[in-house]
Amino acid sequence: MRAYLGARRLAVTIAGLVAGACAHPAHTPLTPAGGAAACLLAPAPGQTTAAARGPVVTVALTDSVDPTHAPVARNDAERLVFRQLYETLVRFDCEGRAVPALAESWTSSDGGRRWSFTLRADAQFWDGAPVTARDVVVGRGGVGYTLNPIDARTVGVWLAKGSDDVPAFLADPALAVTKPAPGGDWPIGTGRYWVTGGTATPEEIRAYSPGGDTLVFRQTSGKDARDQLDAGVDLLITRDRSIVDYAATQSAFTVVDLPWDRVYVLASAEPPTTRLDGLEQAVRGEARRPQGGGFWWEELRACGPSPAGTPTASTGARRIAYVRGDPAARDLAGRIAALGGGTAAGLGQAEFSRAFTGGAGAGYVLALPRTVPEACRAARDLLPPWPAAVAPLVETRARAVVRRGKSRWAVDGDGTLHFVPQ
Amino acid sequence: MTFRTRLLAGFGVVVLVPLAVFGLGIRREMSGRVSAEYERSVGALAAVIRADIARQSDGIAARLAALKSALANDNRFRAAAVQGGDRAYVLDYAGDAMRLTGLDMLQVLDDEGHVVSSGHFRNEYDRAAPIPPPGGPALVRASTAEGDFLAFVRSDSLRLPARRFTLVGGMRVDSSFLARLARDRELTVSVVLPGDTALPQLTGEVVANVTVPYVASAGAQPLPAGIIVTQSESLLAALRRNVNTWFAVAVLVSALLAVLIAGWLSTRFSRPMTEMERRVVMGDLARQVNHDIKNGLGPLRNVFRHFTQVAEKEPANLPKVFTERQGTVESSIGYLETLAANYARLYPQVNEQPTDINAVVREALRHAPGPENVELETGLLDHLPPVRVDALALRRVIQNLLGNAVDSLDGKPGTVTIATERGPDGTIRLLVSDTGRGMSKAEVDRAFDDFYTTKKGGTGLGLSIVRRLVLDAHGTLRVESHPGKGSKFIVELPSA
Repeated sequence: MRAYLGARRLAVTIAGLVAGACAHPAHTPLTPAGGAAACLLAPAPGQTTAAARGPVVTVALTDSVDPTHAPVARNDAERLVFRQLYETLVRFDCEGRAVPALAESWTSSDGGRRWSFTLRADAQFWDGAPVTARDVVVGRGGVGYTLNPIDARTVGVWLAKGSDDVPAFLADPALAVTKPAPGGDWPIGTGRYWVTGGTATPEEIRAYSPGGDTLVFRQTSGKDARDQLDAGVDLLITRDRSIVDYAATQSAFTVVDLPWDRVYVLASAEPPTTRLDGLEQAVRGEARRPQGGGFWWEELRACGPSPAGTPTASTGARRIAYVRGDPAARDLAGRIAALGGGTAAGLGQAEFSRAFTGGAGAGYVLALPRTVPEACRAARDLLPPWPAAVAPLVETRARAVVRRGKSRWAVDGDGTLHFVPQ
Repeated sequence: MTFRTRLLAGFGVVVLVPLAVFGLGIRREMSGRVSAEYERSVGALAAVIRADIARQSDGIAARLAALKSALANDNRFRAAAVQGGDRAYVLDYAGDAMRLTGLDMLQVLDDEGHVVSSGHFRNEYDRAAPIPPPGGPALVRASTAEGDFLAFVRSDSLRLPARRFTLVGGMRVDSSFLARLARDRELTVSVVLPGDTALPQLTGEVVANVTVPYVASAGAQPLPAGIIVTQSESLLAALRRNVNTWFAVAVLVSALLAVLIAGWLSTRFSRPMTEMERRVVMGDLARQVNHDIKNGLGPLRNVFRHFTQVAEKEPANLPKVFTERQGTVESSIGYLETLAANYARLYPQVNEQPTDINAVVREALRHAPGPENVELETGLLDHLPPVRVDALALRRVIQNLLGNAVDSLDGKPGTVTIATERGPDGTIRLLVSDTGRGMSKAEVDRAFDDFYTTKKGGTGLGLSIVRRLVLDAHGTLRVESHPGKGSKFIVELPSA
């Protein structure tokens, strides 16, 4: 997720992934289906889970976690950690079904224009304060919907356009319910697990639950994640093929493909003149040709006129810019440079954002969410402010390396895992 | 030019010129040897650099040969490359192999020269690449995603069933590569490519040029490029500068020593020579006196010889002849009288009589030299008995001493004091003192010598005459002097 641009954009990104690769037309069950067994990783029939055998589950993180980003994640590590800590009204499982989260039930009326969500009876913040409808709606809203407190435990969602399904944006992490903690500590959430500055260090984050079980997130950024597998971690999310290959040799682990959640694109002022076929070979991680077409950035007519800005004239040789530290973007930029005779330039996140906004340079390789809940907002947040040709290059996904029989993890619709206690 | 100056100059010529010639010869020889030694050293280093380049080339070739062997035995690569499976393995093959072998660039090319696998730029697969000529090292322009770089490469090839592959591998030619080759900070290794519009700044002398074929791009013909070794002249120049500096120092020290020695020698020899000169002058004077007297006596001798002859042969004509030659006799006598008078000036007749010394002093002071910046003080003791001297000689003594005292001030402000007092044993003492430069003991010892002077343009006879006049008056003369503080001349004369 490093290639995503900024916190607001990432919020859209994560929300968009709700309707991810394993999503299919969502139903609107008036009675939530609950955690589907199909979304569980490494169920290992007959084996007991961590909750039954031991209170501690260890997770390796391959990116750093910044609590000031919470609850809107900017990378895979933050997605995984924040998902265990913060809740939205609902979430979507890997099959696209809405399942209870902060809301335990919901109803719709008026042709799908008015939705009512009833908060869990025991919903409360980590500090013990009960969660009210007002906590859910204050400061939140968006284009095409409004949030209203109906009573202390009921949240009304009014849609401009009726929907038969639970609106996907309700699982947007940006709508997760939090309140600030004293002293700029981790925001206080409503999830099962809680973290404070006292339980988190740059090397390790310990998340505790009232049930006594603990999630330990260990930082492996800058280290060889294989060492963590050898050291006994129970879960590792990675896009590094060498780690996946190593884990595949270990009988203690199961490697699970996560949904195709990213589309790498080339954004440029002019459509690329070089055929960009076969780029999946250029990516050393898991990659495939873009599937299906009809990406959200291709259907923006409803969003009004296209951006009127003009890219800054580039100087020098044709340059393909990417965010330094994104190996897939680097591979793709290198391949495009090899095909087109230009050069690839790895930029820091801030430098890339400035160049991308100004349009200086011939092209930009960046990752976009495969789907987004609100295309117009995503276009505003993720696409350049100048008329750009956006060519899909490859789709990628991460893989989960799960220790067999130790813990239960379920895949949400956006590809994020959440721990399933026994 | 004084004798001392002449001695110094002569010594300088005798010593310094040969010394300078010798020094120049030494300098030239040293400079030549330093240059030759340095060039030998640089030549050896250049040979080492050539050997290093060859060794680099051989090392790369050895690694490629090992890779070729491994590749030929790699069934997975064979299957992928020949049958088209497991493309990722092929694409990553060169990268892993490059890291294992420590190369900076590695490509596996197919028989059409297209990249099958690239270690330094994984994603340049399928591109046409420059192919170096086989059998030796070459320079090629290699690509990466971020740009091009120059590589020093070798190539090797192998044949898998139905397909021929070429391995191209080598080292990046960057500043560290060239610096490693240079080995010596005075040597610079540069690469000059054909057609370079921006040639590297080659400073110094080219001491080695290793020609290597250069392939700029795919399909391009190899062109000769050069790995140039240049020698900075700074060290040699520094060596030469040092030689010159030390040579100059040696010359200066030698010259200084020569001057000191010449000074010492001239001091040692100039005193006897001055005495000798004095004797020469006295001899000259004696010869002049002899000559003058002879000139006066010659006509007289002739006249009297004429008189004798006339008296013997024509006595009657003697009066007549006398009358005729009387003028000659008188003229000669007049000449001798004049001559005597002239010499008498050098040593006037003494007319000793009781003389009031204070009166003579006052008379002398009226005509004494009196620059404005000289304060003339007198301390005459009244009621002194007269002294028995020639008043004129006494006046001359006083004038000489006053003149010397004023001269010793060297034109600076100062005081000259003249005084009279009673001396021991009924003598009368005349004191002339000054606040001038004074004299050293050596100068005091010679102060009354004839022709000895420390004054520019002096005759060296003033004090000598004073001494003689005082002695003629049966008196004594001595001097007390302190360098930088002044002198005091003390004359003691017997009372009448």
